Amino acid sequence: MAGPLARMAVWRASASRLALVYLVILVIAVSVVRFTSYLVTQREITRQGDLLVQSELQALREQYRFGGVQRLVEILNRRVDDWGRLGAVYLFMDNAGNKLAGNLTGWPQEVSRDGAWLEFELVAREGNASVDHPVRASAIQLGRNWLLVGTDKSEQERIARQQRSAMAWSIALTALLAGLAGWWYSRRVAARIREVASACEDIMSGRLSQRLPAGDSQDEFDQLAAVVNRMLDRVDQQAAVMRTTFRSAAHDLRTPLQRARIRLESGAAQSVEPGQRDAMVQSVADIDRVQRTLATLLQIAHAESATVEQTQRTVLDVAALVHEMAELYQPVAAGRGIRLQAEALEPALMHGNRQLLAQLLANLLENALKFTPLSGLISVAVQTREGRVQLRVADTGPGIPAAQRDEALLPFRQLGGRDGAAAGEAGGSGLGLSLVAAVVHIHGGHLKLLDNQPGLAVLCEFPAA
Amino acid sequence: MRILLVEDDRETASHVISGLQQAGYEVHHCIDGREALTTAREQSFDLLIVDRMLPSLDGLGIVSQLRADGSSTPVLVLSALGTVDHRVEGLKAGGDDYLVKPFSLAELLARVEALLRRAVGSSAASRLRVGDLEMDRISRRVTRAGREIDLTAREFQLLEFLLQHPGQVITRTMLLESVWDLHFDPQTNLVDVHISRLRQAIDRDFSPPLLHTVRGAGYVLREHS
Repeated sequence: MAGPLARMAVWRASASRLALVYLVILVIAVSVVRFTSYLVTQREITRQGDLLVQSELQALREQYRFGGVQRLVEILNRRVDDWGRLGAVYLFMDNAGNKLAGNLTGWPQEVSRDGAWLEFELVAREGNASVDHPVRASAIQLGRNWLLVGTDKSEQERIARQQRSAMAWSIALTALLAGLAGWWYSRRVAARIREVASACEDIMSGRLSQRLPAGDSQDEFDQLAAVVNRMLDRVDQQAAVMRTTFRSAAHDLRTPLQRARIRLESGAAQSVEPGQRDAMVQSVADIDRVQRTLATLLQIAHAESATVEQTQRTVLDVAALVHEMAELYQPVAAGRGIRLQAEALEPALMHGNRQLLAQLLANLLENALKFTPLSGLISVAVQTREGRVQLRVADTGPGIPAAQRDEALLPFRQLGGRDGAAAGEAGGSGLGLSLVAAVVHIHGGHLKLLDNQPGLAVLCEFPAA
Repeated sequence: MRILLVEDDRETASHVISGLQQAGYEVHHCIDGREALTTAREQSFDLLIVDRMLPSLDGLGIVSQLRADGSSTPVLVLSALGTVDHRVEGLKAGGDDYLVKPFSLAELLARVEALLRRAVGSSAASRLRVGDLEMDRISRRVTRAGREIDLTAREFQLLEFLLQHPGQVITRTMLLESVWDLHFDPQTNLVDVHISRLRQAIDRDFSPPLLHTVRGAGYVLREHS
């Protein structure tokens, strides 16, 4: 079962690869959207703060224009009381660096020009701890004095931190959900493919009445299954017609053969003239030959069109069967000066029909006996390897050229070197290997013709039980 | 011995009837399946020979209905259908033996005799004997005129089957079926070769010969030729 499983792994990988690609794309997209909106929000918050500072500066500049230093100091002293709590920062200094008003002790850093922005940390005492407060401020020149107005950005930074953490969480959650969805999807696809593949394997192995599982979601899988099932119905129908035809053919051919045989038989028994009697006996033998060919043909047709359910199968030991068949053919081989050797040490169990497998062995052995020269060797070996029962029948005859091996499995193929010579003998109609192929087929196996150097080796592989 | 033959092909039937009558059997013939079932239920027969494909009621239908009635009369099924599965179908339906057309009259007679004798005799005996040839089936020893004979496991089985049917003609096909459990005709003369080996073992050094060839039919194991 290496074939279908290997195919399935590729499918599974392709489904999960697709899911992974979607996951990455989704995470990138979500990150870009969230980060952009974070940047925009941050900028807007800063802009709002700056606008506030600028409008305050503007208002204070107006007051200075009306009331000079005196008035501004008054206003600032009032504001510091009111706004100190609100996180506003003021500093009014004269040119010499003396503080005129405000809640800062000194100029935090050098300011070179009017309207410049500056950012600094303010250490505030809250209870016993000292806490850093980031401040963003702007300074203007009023006459020869300098005025600084700023706002405490702690709150803004807190919001920014919250936003960043929300961003990280939402990206992580997106990744998790997308990952889960992808995992579920790829498992589902893999399971559907596996169902279809195993149903197909079953059908190929002869369970022709089996159908692909069709759900009711009407997705591509269901549509595909429906089409395949219709195709299988059609094939099944044809096989049924074939079987009926074979039944009728068997009946219509065998009944007249029966009459002819009985007539000839009783004719031979009553005939007094020896020449006549011989002719009749010969004709009876011919009828038996026709009957054997017909039986083989029907068995091939039956095996090719029959379903597994219709064929009786049990668990059987091919090794035991090999020994039985070798023992059956041993005296014939010995009579022809051929060594027949069975190599089947371990039991080799498979699901099979004993009669069909015995006939397979009989055909292979008779074929080998036909072509193996005096003092040649025929070997029958069976072993179980990697879940497969391997049956090998090899001879030391002339073999079949590689180019003709496929052809050799077709019915009535008379090969120049091999079947041609024996076609007339013992009813050899060139059906032997075709029947072997049909029996291997109905057991879900594989057949190979190989070079035995010299000779032919026929390798049949079946799924082990 | 009364035999009911159910066969719709008149010519085949008339030859089979004359063959059976010459062998000393009384034969009743039916063409139609339903008629045959009624006849088989009303009268008593020692053996039924039933063709598989019949008008009105299939041959296997007759057999399974009779079996359902509790009848144990042996049945030989004749059939134009000869694949492995068809045979199994025939035996499953309650047939005791299955013969594929075209068959020889000799084959049919041999099987009829085997079925009738089986119905009468017992095959469970622990000692079998024909003339001075004896088989102990428990100790698996074979002796002739008191001398032990060495046989392979298969030769033992072959002889055992022949000893169970003394004086009966046993065909090659019957031996393949019973001794090797093979239900197809091999193209080579396999059975003849095995029989000649057995003959070497039991007849060569003794007299008179017990294992005889019946031309055109098969083999028979008996004291007098």
